[in-house]
Amino acid sequence: MALKDNLKVLVVDDMPTSRGLIVQALEEMKVWNNSTENNGQTAMERLAKEPAHLILSDMNMPVMDGLELLRNLRANRATKGVGFILITGKPTPDLVAKGRSLGMNNMIKKPFTTPQLKACIEQVVGPLG
Amino acid sequence: MSVETAKVISVIQGEFAVSADPTACMSTVLGSCIAACLYDPTNKVGGMNHFLLPEARNGDSQHVKYGAHLMELLINDLLKMGAQRDRLRVKLAGGGKMSQFLGSVGEKNIEFVQKYLANEGIPIDWQSLGGRQARRIHFYPTTGRLTEKFVQAPKGIEASEKGARAPRRPASSGVELF
Repeated sequence: MALKDNLKVLVVDDMPTSRGLIVQALEEMKVWNNSTENNGQTAMERLAKEPAHLILSDMNMPVMDGLELLRNLRANRATKGVGFILITGKPTPDLVAKGRSLGMNNMIKKPFTTPQLKACIEQVVGPLG
Repeated sequence: MSVETAKVISVIQGEFAVSADPTACMSTVLGSCIAACLYDPTNKVGGMNHFLLPEARNGDSQHVKYGAHLMELLINDLLKMGAQRDRLRVKLAGGGKMSQFLGSVGEKNIEFVQKYLANEGIPIDWQSLGGRQARRIHFYPTTGRLTEKFVQAPKGIEASEKGARAPRRPASSGVELF
């Protein structure tokens, strides 16, 4: 069984259109096991009940943003090893440095194509197969 | 506040601006492009973008990704300036068919922005979309007031539309909307 058949992805973005586009891109990669949340806090709540292998998270969100989610994930024993890709429209050097220091696995700049997102995911989890 | 006394911010294609300054007025001229003017009437902050999405090939969602990105940049900056997501409202202008050679690019842009806003649950307060004339709009970001004036298209564009031209409004006609 290929990795894409087992991979559980949680997409975290406050914009319904962006969530839909990311899920659509995942489905184009034949990654079907996806769930979505609209901010970092609801993502943490979902992960407590429903673990995932990989988080694709937007940066700017109300309640809890992408970096704060990352900080929470790494501080929590159950989620500290989960893959984390930060999605942002403005990858400033400061944001990249903060993300790296908090333990993000990769970053992708919006807007991106499906092959670009696939390459970004495969750098973290390996070939999807 | 009139255009003469306002601090005019020009928003050109591919750019956006946000402001909470009650004396600011955002201005742009639109052909096939669309300007989305978003504002939070309670917190008195607003902004305008000005975009033209490339024509999509069959089954290609890249233009939607690009468009969604441009809308999100504006929305994110509005939220940073104190706008509240559930209070955002929008006025739309543009998406004209400026030449028969430009195909349906204006229509595709209209389709995108309306679908996007429906998806995001942002109510459209007013829209002036399509047609065959260019428009100049002025948008006052803290109140959401918008004025629109149809302007003459450049000569070359007019020539290409001969035989299929919709009735034109006089170039001087101005519509003021609140």
